Amino acid sequence: MQQPLISHFPCDVPALSLILYQDFLSDTGMDEPQYTVASDSETTGEEKSSSAFAEIAIGIDIGTSQCSIAVWNGSQVELLKNTRNQKLMRSYVTFKDEVPSGGVSNQISHECEIFSGVAIFNMKRLIGRVDTDPVVHASKKLPFLVQTLDIGVRPFIAALVNNAWRSTTPEEVLAIFLVELRVMAELQLKKPIRNVVLTIPVSFSRFQLTRIERACAMAGLHILRLIPEPTAVALLYAQQQQQTVHENMGSGSEKNALIFNMGAGYCDVAVTATAGGVSQIKALAGAAIGGEDILQNMMQYLLPNSEGLFLNHRINEIKLLGLLRVATEDAIHRLSSQSSVQVDVDLGNGFKIYKVVTREEFEQVNLEVFEKCESLVTQCLRDSKVDIEDLTDVILVGGCSYIPKIRNLVMAVCKREELYKEINPLEAAVCGAALEGAVASGITDPFGSLDLLTIQATPIGIGIRADGNSFVPIIPRNTTIPSRKELLFTTTHDNQTQALILVYEGEGTKVEENHLLGYFKIVGIPAAPKGIPEINVCMDIDASNVLRVFAGVVMPGTDQPPFMEVRMPTIDDGHGWCVEALNRTYGSTLDLVTVQKKM
Amino acid sequence: MRCYGLMIPGSETIRFYPSQLKPDSNPFLRFKPVTRIPIGSFKTKAATNEKITTEWGQMTLYELLGIPESGTFPEIKQAYKQLARKYHPDVSPPDRVEEYTRRFIRVQEAYETLSDPRMREIYDRDMARGLHLAFSARRRYPYQKDEGMEGRTEWKNCWQAQVSELKRRSMNKDAGGSASWAARMRRRREGLSDEL
Repeated sequence: MQQPLISHFPCDVPALSLILYQDFLSDTGMDEPQYTVASDSETTGEEKSSSAFAEIAIGIDIGTSQCSIAVWNGSQVELLKNTRNQKLMRSYVTFKDEVPSGGVSNQISHECEIFSGVAIFNMKRLIGRVDTDPVVHASKKLPFLVQTLDIGVRPFIAALVNNAWRSTTPEEVLAIFLVELRVMAELQLKKPIRNVVLTIPVSFSRFQLTRIERACAMAGLHILRLIPEPTAVALLYAQQQQQTVHENMGSGSEKNALIFNMGAGYCDVAVTATAGGVSQIKALAGAAIGGEDILQNMMQYLLPNSEGLFLNHRINEIKLLGLLRVATEDAIHRLSSQSSVQVDVDLGNGFKIYKVVTREEFEQVNLEVFEKCESLVTQCLRDSKVDIEDLTDVILVGGCSYIPKIRNLVMAVCKREELYKEINPLEAAVCGAALEGAVASGITDPFGSLDLLTIQATPIGIGIRADGNSFVPIIPRNTTIPSRKELLFTTTHDNQTQALILVYEGEGTKVEENHLLGYFKIVGIPAAPKGIPEINVCMDIDASNVLRVFAGVVMPGTDQPPFMEVRMPTIDDGHGWCVEALNRTYGSTLDLVTVQKKM
Repeated sequence: MRCYGLMIPGSETIRFYPSQLKPDSNPFLRFKPVTRIPIGSFKTKAATNEKITTEWGQMTLYELLGIPESGTFPEIKQAYKQLARKYHPDVSPPDRVEEYTRRFIRVQEAYETLSDPRMREIYDRDMARGLHLAFSARRRYPYQKDEGMEGRTEWKNCWQAQVSELKRRSMNKDAGGSASWAARMRRRREGLSDEL
């Protein structure tokens, strides 16, 4: 059991073995027989749900700006509140004192304090990204230090502590935050929390998922599932639909819904078809655009030519930036209900803003963001092959769903007059995660409220490099998982005995546009003219979204080396460098091409 | 024939699974996918797997979904959802996740083949010819022209692209820059003969 986990996190061996040890402690004794009970499903419902309750996974929604935590309490989903009676807690960690503290427990006197350099936030936008990533570059205008060297390594991130930049990592910040959430939940539920279901953006790469896993491991949490945010909402929708069916005793006809989720950091779209508690994710689409981009566009609009002002990160400039952020955020919020707002703020240092901003101006400034949202909705609808007329409901969730322009554009694309109203836009994802946590933990409900199944799909295509520099998808985007697909490849040189398998994730037709997940070499290909040996590459994603790649030679009647089986991703940071080094060393000598089907 | 053994038209070679070729070193059974359910996940019930998947391997896709060959699309869909409820690894007992995963993938593939009118037609034709190629239609390189054209919109896009390409070519006929080498040569020869 330890082997695959440890090889998966080569750097985290101490932390992980500690957690495994904890798991081991809690698994021995009481828990072992409980699992046996749970596995032989048809025991008495009472006994099962009470014993399994100790193991129920909680749902956590880590938003770019806000976090929440929810749990199935035996009859429904319940959001947990912190000591300040908040269900939604700001996602940030301050490094002011010796012990860093996060937004769960922290008491701050004024919002500006978060923006004074002491706090790190937006970690979801930074996690698992390298310093050449445009999203990281956009984060350089945040009121803490994000330093890039533009060489394809992780950015340097630091908080201002006692007039010095104290370095940290997004994983560490997230882990500190998760520990606070865990402690809060453990106090309220009066039992240790171990298993969690986390929601993630659709556009997260598998590499980013490993960073989330690492942060959870650092916080002593075990990830039962990582589910894309809109699919969590889809699960909640499926449950609501099933309940209505129960109430009306009507037929469980299939309902298609489009879910649009836009928070501060990411925009995700999903189309789901649900009937009788089974929901199938038909298509997913997502991008790293969100409220943060809208906010930065507006800040730029309110204080033009301020580009160079914040790059030196002087204390006064950070303060100015913090004030500007608060004022802009407030203006954007007000523009959701008003047609124009007056921004009147003294930023100090001689910078004053006195401006009336209309909704039209706001929409013009953020035109690109809205266009991107529209294209995501269109793409998702097209991929789902569901006709607009067949959409039963259109669901908008996330903080940005309050923006009139967003509501209008989604309704326009879906040709709809109104939106689904039975869902709380800010709590939907975490409720879905808690439902998934209960379902995946094997909890059953006597009233059938947990008779749910979500058939997930892959948000991003996975394939290998072949046919020169092309990306050949083996498991395309929106493939139902679990899945197993294979393709045949052949050699490009006579007597080529080795081949390099470079596994990529992405949508670009060229490998450079995609994300390298890992690579390995096949050896012992029987010497033959090019195009003769057949190399089978098979990819397998299980229900927990674990990706394995199998590859080997298929030539009947010859002595073949064993197949390779590799769990992905295998590479850590610096994927760009790996590609360069591989190119330099091997060129195209170990290349493969696809075998065209001869019928 | 196991679940992942695939037949190739015109040959008796079983294509994919390495276990087919080397039953003793079957990596699939040796290594269990990490299911995140820690206990019991390593007790692979190989014997049951073999038995069930053998039975499944001999079934037609219709038999697999439990519907008649005349089954309509709603029937196929309903059968698929029922089987998904039964075999999705999320509803499996913790020690049988792998077996359920394989079954679910077969159900999924049967559904995808039969719910697509074009693929169903190919499958029906192959079945009528006595070829039992459960998944042959799915194994070709998916980006070949004919495969990429499923669905009206894609077909339409492709057709429109062809039309616009033809238009573009006819417009550029005289420009010469994008004409083929042969066309340029012909034109040059015509030009020469005109001069003469």
